[in-house]
Amino acid sequence: MGLRRIAFALVVLGIVVWAVFPFAWAIVTSLKAGSALFTVEAWPSQPSLANYAAIFKEQPFGRNILNSLMAASAVVALSLGLAVLAAYALGRVRFRGRGLLLFVVLGVSMFPQVAVLSGLFELVRWLGLYNRIGSLVLSYLIFTLPFTVWVLTTFMRELPKELEEAAMVDGAGPFVIVTRVFLPLMGPALAATGLLAFIAAWNEFLFALTFTLTDDARTVPVAIALMSGASQYELPWGQIMAASVVVTVPLIGLVLLFQRRIVSGLTAGAVKG
Amino acid sequence: MAGVTLRGVRKSFGRIEVIHGVDLEVADGEFVAFVGPSGCGKSTLLRLIAGLEEPSAGDLSIGGQRVNDRPPAARGIAMVFQSYALYPHMTAYDNMAFGLTLSRTDKGTIAERVRAAARLLQIEDLLDRKPRDLSGGQRQRVAIGRAIVREPQVFLFDEPLSNLDAGLRVQMRLEIAKLKADLRATMIYVTHDQVEAMTLADRIVVLNAGRVEQAGTPLELYHRPRNRFVAGFIGSPAMNFLDVVSEGRADGSVRVWLPGGVPLDVAVDGAAPPAGTPLTLGVRPEHVGLADGGAGLLATILAVERLGGETHCHAALEDGQRLLVRLDGDRPVAAGERLRLNLRGETAHLFGADGQRL
Amino acid sequence: MSGLPHSSLERQRRRAAWLFLLPMLVVLAGVAGWPLFRTVFFSFTDATLATLDGFQGVGLDNYLWLVRDPVWWRAVWNTLVFTVVSVGIETALGLGIALILNAHLPGRGLLRAAVLIPWAIPTVVSAQMWGWMFHDLYGVVNAILMGLGLIAEPRAWTADPDLALPVVIAVDVWKSTPFMALLILAALQMLPRDLYEAARVDGVHPVKVFVRITLPLIRPALMVAVLFRTLDALRVFDLMYVLTGNSRSTMSMSVYARQYLIDFQDVGYGSAAATLLVLVLAAATVLAVTLGRVRVDAGR
Repeated sequence: MGLRRIAFALVVLGIVVWAVFPFAWAIVTSLKAGSALFTVEAWPSQPSLANYAAIFKEQPFGRNILNSLMAASAVVALSLGLAVLAAYALGRVRFRGRGLLLFVVLGVSMFPQVAVLSGLFELVRWLGLYNRIGSLVLSYLIFTLPFTVWVLTTFMRELPKELEEAAMVDGAGPFVIVTRVFLPLMGPALAATGLLAFIAAWNEFLFALTFTLTDDARTVPVAIALMSGASQYELPWGQIMAASVVVTVPLIGLVLLFQRRIVSGLTAGAVKG
Repeated sequence: MAGVTLRGVRKSFGRIEVIHGVDLEVADGEFVAFVGPSGCGKSTLLRLIAGLEEPSAGDLSIGGQRVNDRPPAARGIAMVFQSYALYPHMTAYDNMAFGLTLSRTDKGTIAERVRAAARLLQIEDLLDRKPRDLSGGQRQRVAIGRAIVREPQVFLFDEPLSNLDAGLRVQMRLEIAKLKADLRATMIYVTHDQVEAMTLADRIVVLNAGRVEQAGTPLELYHRPRNRFVAGFIGSPAMNFLDVVSEGRADGSVRVWLPGGVPLDVAVDGAAPPAGTPLTLGVRPEHVGLADGGAGLLATILAVERLGGETHCHAALEDGQRLLVRLDGDRPVAAGERLRLNLRGETAHLFGADGQRL
Repeated sequence: MSGLPHSSLERQRRRAAWLFLLPMLVVLAGVAGWPLFRTVFFSFTDATLATLDGFQGVGLDNYLWLVRDPVWWRAVWNTLVFTVVSVGIETALGLGIALILNAHLPGRGLLRAAVLIPWAIPTVVSAQMWGWMFHDLYGVVNAILMGLGLIAEPRAWTADPDLALPVVIAVDVWKSTPFMALLILAALQMLPRDLYEAARVDGVHPVKVFVRITLPLIRPALMVAVLFRTLDALRVFDLMYVLTGNSRSTMSMSVYARQYLIDFQDVGYGSAAATLLVLVLAAATVLAVTLGRVRVDAGR
């Protein structure tokens, strides 16, 4: 029994190291300045924050973060607003075509994004949004909106029927029921769904890569992917790792903080076979 | 205040009809209880009156006005739900005020009405609390308060006490009785607990499989059940039913033979069935007595259940038919003993093969 | 004057429902429906990025070119290999991790927090991190493997055509296994506990319990998770693009399509590739739903 426990602990330890090591290594790398980068050592002999300073001085990384924040916040707010109403309709009202609609919504979230790229490109250009944050808000809706609709629909379904009926007896119409009875109860659901949608928008790469052109219009993932140094052939790995750490630490913090909520949000709908 | 009238009300869900044409008149100020086994349609009937379901056919009027097409809020009703259905994010005060706020009643009137209801229900100290900080009984009061504040013509209760524990249920039952006296409003009360129905209601409507089996005062249902279903449903422990054979008429009553060749004369309203017709004899456990002498129905005790205040004897008659006998708490009886039982014609009921009372 | 089958209340609710759905449907039609339609439409034209409003129909030409391009078939092959291998490994590993997390043993809080980290890290960031670790000259992977004597000299992991795809798969496994594990864990936690107590009382071997009880019970959830991951893997873009650029040895269908659409500005041809990708995804879904009997349902 003792031996099995030790073996088990080793397996767990192995998984933890496997999961955490790459990020830890990124941190270590980000603290290496100059030629220290090119020696493999577990901890830099002379830790330096030079890379962190550089991404904000030499690169428009502050601006990139702001772009990502604005695009993700706007698309999350928009998605949640649209999704709450839609979720009430899909979750609580019986009507013909409801199953088909849910299927379509799910289908859209499964779309390969490259399949809408040319059509969206045309739309973005037509709306004059090219190289602007607006193009990202518009294109991100394609995955945040179906996701929020889907998850909020499952949450809406769980709300007690009698509560809605009590409100109906009290004279509340559907809009009042959604906004004044259900919405205040959905705080946790909205937070979890919003957070997941935010992360998805924050991490998006393909649309951001395609619809932005200049360095200061880029979002964080594009900036990190395309970050270049003094010469074209020399990637500034120290800076790339510093930038990676900067954008990942808050995400990891949020995810660990909202662990349980996120797990329930991820699995809502998906696993009810 | 107003009465409620149902005319030929039917309700189907998809292809399945769950209410098969109900006609019912609830008088102004009357307290009516709907009882029946689960799935009998009693809650559906209440929800039809509330407007939470729409009848597939028939007419529904409240206070003489046809309300079929009116939404719940415009029917002059208020409903108390089984799960209370309080808005979890609102204080008790806001819960009670919500309906009035939506109808844009002015703040002064709202405050006045909420305070008055709170005083009546003795929850004045709890108005600032949210539902999660209230006990079950307190929540129930707030839910009732929410109904009172609407000043409805008709109160609808959907099993309001079934979520409470036994002790609290008795207490709230008394309070609802007091409320009934204070408000003098029309009340319709759905319950599966016949004690609640018997104690609270002016009139009880017994429903079974979407039909009204009988509507009448509690004692009418107890003493003169119209059919075998009502007879078996009302009364606890339930009525005994014995297979007997008619022997024909004997001055205003029908004589039947009990197992073991004991005759019994039972008063009936209708025509007596011809001799030899098989009938069902109903007799309540509390109406089975012990015979004094050697005469009477011979029975063997199978099991004895002592409840303290009373004793239930499960007995078998000579032909094997079972009979429950309710005796005094301390009556010295034991399984295996033989008893002589005494049935009286005036407390017995006869039902035909169709289940209807003779 | 008799009551209609469905009168005011239901009708009002239904009307409200459609009203509530309308904004969402309009937006989805705008950002998904219309662009998809345009993509399919463009695939039959010679449109370029510069001439999106002046183009000519070319019939099936784009498709005919496409099926004759070995690079396209390489991209199809890469995508399928990537999907099958990575989803396969992720399912097996995810199942294992989920089983460990589901066992009430010390350290599972730590484990759960740890496996959430790869999931939280943006794909681009994880691609860069691993790209650095797999660096041919200064990478920690080469250093460790050489230190252990497993390889004699540094490997060019991402540049070597034989190694690049396995590297991409390894990174995806690292990044996506947590998602799989969490979905499976949720399914495991819904299993009734007394079932296992009964099996233990009966003395059934744990492996048999897993194969005969656990697996069949979580199968529906497992299939849904596998379907989600499969559809995700079939449209993979970020990982290849960041880790190996437009390299042929790893190029996925999405990378191929985007390269023509944007880099080569050949919207017509790129759209044809994108359209084929949609068809592949649709086929995979139909296959999963019919053969795998996956039921996707937002609760009941």
